[in-house]
Amino acid sequence: MKKRGKGIAATFYGTGYGNGFPDVSKAVAEVDHDGNVNIYVCATEVGQGAKTIIIQMVAEILGLGMNDIHLISEDTSQTLDTGTAAASRQTYNTGNAVKKAVEVLKSKLLEKAKEHLKLPSLLGLEVKDKVIYLKTFPKKRVCFKDLIEEKISVEETFTAQTVQMDEETGQGAPYWPYTFSCYGVEVEVDTETGIIEVIKGVCAQDVGRAINPELIEGQIDGGFSMGLGYGIMEKLNCKDGEIKNNKFSKYLIPTALDMPELEKIIVEDPESSAPFGAKGIGEPVILPAAPAILNAIYDAIGVRFYEIPVTPDKVLSEINREI
Amino acid sequence: MNHISLTINKKMYSIDVEEDVRLIDLLRDQLFLTGTKEGCGEGECGACTVIMDGRVVNSCLVMAFQAEGSNITTIEGMSDKDELHPIQKAFLDKGAVQCGFCTPGMVLSAKSLLDKNENPTREEIREGISGNLCRCTGYNKIVDAIELASKEIREEKKE
Ligand code: FES
Ligand code: FES
Repeated sequence: MKKRGKGIAATFYGTGYGNGFPDVSKAVAEVDHDGNVNIYVCATEVGQGAKTIIIQMVAEILGLGMNDIHLISEDTSQTLDTGTAAASRQTYNTGNAVKKAVEVLKSKLLEKAKEHLKLPSLLGLEVKDKVIYLKTFPKKRVCFKDLIEEKISVEETFTAQTVQMDEETGQGAPYWPYTFSCYGVEVEVDTETGIIEVIKGVCAQDVGRAINPELIEGQIDGGFSMGLGYGIMEKLNCKDGEIKNNKFSKYLIPTALDMPELEKIIVEDPESSAPFGAKGIGEPVILPAAPAILNAIYDAIGVRFYEIPVTPDKVLSEINREI
Repeated sequence: MNHISLTINKKMYSIDVEEDVRLIDLLRDQLFLTGTKEGCGEGECGACTVIMDGRVVNSCLVMAFQAEGSNITTIEGMSDKDELHPIQKAFLDKGAVQCGFCTPGMVLSAKSLLDKNENPTREEIREGISGNLCRCTGYNKIVDAIELASKEIREEKKE
């Protein structure tokens, strides 16, 4: 018999290394004598879109097109340390470092332009497409190339706030910021085979501010599929410290047929300490999937599972025990 | 040592291969067609997918000498010079690429599917790429992309 059930789960996730551990990102922003804008970071791109959103942030601050920005990343001979692409921290931490560096660079450019244009004040000076001009009298203008004889380079550091938890009491403020997620799923449990199929999912994800909604949707899809595998398929099977399921024929991960269509809801509530309000979602998007699925299994067959993955053999043995 | 002749991406090759060389090694190590990826080396992940005589195969499971006389398409043969294939364009437009490791195999499985079925349902698309594992995208945007490509290809044909 096939039985259906629905379940929800809400989770929160602390960004960064946390628990008092130093969490530092450094970025360099420069304009060279040809007027080129170069950004140096070491935010490893693994497909999550770090490079894209860093370029978007720079473009926003300097009024440039994305193709006008030269990003030098992941080359440790040229870049400073921006920490690992882990802990869902690059958007927040490196984003903050980049934003700081580019804003200082911009104010230096404006200061230079003020002198060059012989203006008494910075008021009304705007930057767009490598030109600085006076909003009220745009003929007063100078392009980056004519303004800069020697390259201007700005290095900035962002250090996240974190409090180590008290070992005795467990009290503290280990993370800042937190990111919230809530997923609802519907499953169908085959009581003869024990196979669980996730047939629908609705994912609401807090992002602070969506710098790139398409990338966020892609991350939600990917995170959901990892959470689905985590909840009902993926088992390392460690015996005496050895991973037994060490190949894809034994360690099963979701295929396209295992993934449901997802309805995605991006929740924007800008975080005051974040660049443009944006938080990272790499790991948060994984978290609610497994608990929501387990709740839906309970709704479908009335069995509470306290261990994952809930594989077909476990479902069957629980169903048989109930009878 | 075997001497084999085959066609890869419309180009003829006549080449010496050792007995124990797999098709993926021939492509990557001898011909430097490194767009084809090796994920598992045991036929489970589909990263090494190529099209051989109209069928998708895992190039990690085919010995190079078995490719004698065959006609092979790899990811390098998808675009027409600088013009991307509609499937490749759709992958870009729909954001169906994250780390990219599964992408060459996905694109070739999609091509093989659309060559046989011009207008697949989403379920048929899922089935068509079910031999290709992707750890990043959760597949949904890949399905979107293949759906879009199928539409574009049909429209192109109408014109
Ligand atoms: S490398 Fe051939 S199927 Fe994985
Ligand atoms: S995009 Fe990374 S495995 Fe598919």
